Amino acid sequence: MIKIENLHKYFHDFHVLKGVNLEIKRNEVVVLIGPSGSGKSTLLRCMNFLEMKDKGVLLIDDQLIDSDKKKLHKVRENIGMVFQHFNLFPHKTVLENVIEAPVHVKKMKKEDCIKIAHQLLEKVGLADKADVYPDKLSGGQKQRVAIARALAMKPEVMLFDEPTSALDPELVGEVLQVMKELANEGMTMIIVTHEMSFAREVADRVFFLDQGVIIEQGTPNELFDHPKHEKVQQFLRHVL
Amino acid sequence: MITLLYVKIFIYLENSLDTKRKVVVKIDKFINSFIQTFNGFVGATGMTLKLTIISLIMACFIGLIVALMKLSSNSFLNWLAVIYIGAIRGTPLILQIMWLYFGITHIIVLSAFWAGSIALAIHNGAYIAEIFRGAIQSIDKGQMEAAKSLGMTNSLAMRRIILPQALKRAIPALGNQFIIGLKDSSLVAFIGITEIFNLSMSEAAATFRQLEFYSIAGIYYLVLILIFTFIINKIEKKLDTGRR
Ligand SMILES: Nc1ncnc2c1ncn2[C@@H]1O[C@H](COP(=O)(O)OP(=O)(O)O)[C@@H](O)[C@H]1O
Ligand SMILES: [Mg+2]
Repeated sequence: MIKIENLHKYFHDFHVLKGVNLEIKRNEVVVLIGPSGSGKSTLLRCMNFLEMKDKGVLLIDDQLIDSDKKKLHKVRENIGMVFQHFNLFPHKTVLENVIEAPVHVKKMKKEDCIKIAHQLLEKVGLADKADVYPDKLSGGQKQRVAIARALAMKPEVMLFDEPTSALDPELVGEVLQVMKELANEGMTMIIVTHEMSFAREVADRVFFLDQGVIIEQGTPNELFDHPKHEKVQQFLRHVL
Repeated sequence: MITLLYVKIFIYLENSLDTKRKVVVKIDKFINSFIQTFNGFVGATGMTLKLTIISLIMACFIGLIVALMKLSSNSFLNWLAVIYIGAIRGTPLILQIMWLYFGITHIIVLSAFWAGSIALAIHNGAYIAEIFRGAIQSIDKGQMEAAKSLGMTNSLAMRRIILPQALKRAIPALGNQFIIGLKDSSLVAFIGITEIFNLSMSEAAATFRQLEFYSIAGIYYLVLILIFTFIINKIEKKLDTGRR
C-alpha cells in the first residue's frame, strides 16, 4: 500500500537518504533498523511529509502523492505517527488529546468521538486516566495515550519512530504490548526501534538502513540469524 | 507632638529672581488638596483606564497578527512586520502620538482620544508582537509535528494547539507590558486629554504646588498598577493549576 522509489533527501548539502526503495503491503508490519544517524527518522518523516523529499516517488494505494502543500494534511489523516517524545498536547486532558483530531479535523460528532476515545483508552489500558493532564502520566502511559490519539483518526498505516527509546526500561514492555496487539489486529505498521526481540516477534520484514541506503532486507529470521552484510553483522553483534 | 505630625519636605527652587524659596508641604494641607481634587482625579483616572484598556486590547490584536506575520513563510508579510516593529521601536512614543494627532490631520482627523488610543495601541502592539513571537517560538516543535501528523492544517494547529500554549506562556511578559502601557498613557497629556498626568500638570500650574500634585498623581498611578498587578497574578495562578 506504500511504495517508495528512489527517494532522496538532503539537509542543505548533507545527503541523508540516497535512493531508498521500499514497498509495504497492507497488514504488513515492517521494522526499520540501523545505526543512529543513518536516516531512519528522516525516511519515516518523508512518508507523512513532515520532511519534504527532494527526489523520488511516493505512492500510497497506487496513488502518486505529490508534494502539493494544500493537500498534504489530507494525506496525513490516513497516516498515524507516534513520536519518540510522545508530543502529547499538554494543555489538554488525555480524553481531549484523543478526540482533538476526530472532532476538529474529521468534524465528527463530539459524543461519538468521546465514545470511541473511551474504547481506545480502554484498549491501551488507560480507561481511568481520561480526565488527567499529560504531566501526571508516566512515560509509558504518555506513549500509550499517543498511540490511542493516533488510532482515533482510524489511520490505514501507523508509523512509530523509536516509541520506547525515551522510556525507563521498566516501562518499555507496556508500550510494546500495545503495539503487539495492534500488529495482531492487522494494522499496517512501520516501526523504527532498537528492541530487537520485539522486532523479531512482530515484524514480517526487517529493513536495515545504513548511511541513507537500505543495504539488507528480509524476514526477521533471515536478517537476524543469517545476516549477509558485514555491517549488519557488526550492528547486530553490538545491540544483541 | 503636633509638629511631629508634619512631614516637612524642603525643596529649594531657583526662581527667576534668583532668590531661594522654601516650599513646605504639610501633611494636613496635602490631605486637603487630595480631598479637594478627588472628584477631578477620579474622572482623570477613569480616562487613564479607558485609554489604557482600549489601547491594550487593540495592541493585543495587532501584536498577534504581526507576530503571525513575522513567523509566516510569506516574505512580504515578514518584511511588513519587520518594518513595523523596527519603525515603532526606533522612534519615541511621544513622537508617534504627535504624528497621529497633529502630523496626519490633512489625511485623517482624529479626536484627541482616538489619536491617543491608536498611538498607544500601535506602540504597544509592536512590543506585544515580539512577546507573542517569542512565546510561539518557545513551544516545542514536536507539538506542531504531532498536530500535523493528525491531519491538522497549519492554521488549525496554530489555533488549537500552539496559540493556547503560547498565550499562557506569554502572560508574565504581557502583564509587564500592560503596566508599561498604563504608565506610558501619561504621554497623551500632551495632546490635551485630561487623564491623571494632565490634570496634575494643570493643578500644579494653577497653584504652584508642584510637589503636592505630582505626588498625588503618583498615588493614583501606584494604586492602578497595584490593582493591575493583582489581577495579572490571579490570572497567572489560575492558568497554572494542574497543567504544564
Ligand atoms: N532538520 C535537520 N537538519 C539538518 N540535518 C538533519 C535534520 N534532521 C536530521 N538531520 C541529520 O540527518 C541524519 C539522519 O538523521 P535521522 O533521520 O534522525 O537519523 P536516525 O533516525 O537514523 O538516527 C543525521 O546525521 C542528522 O544529524
Ligand atoms: Mg531517529
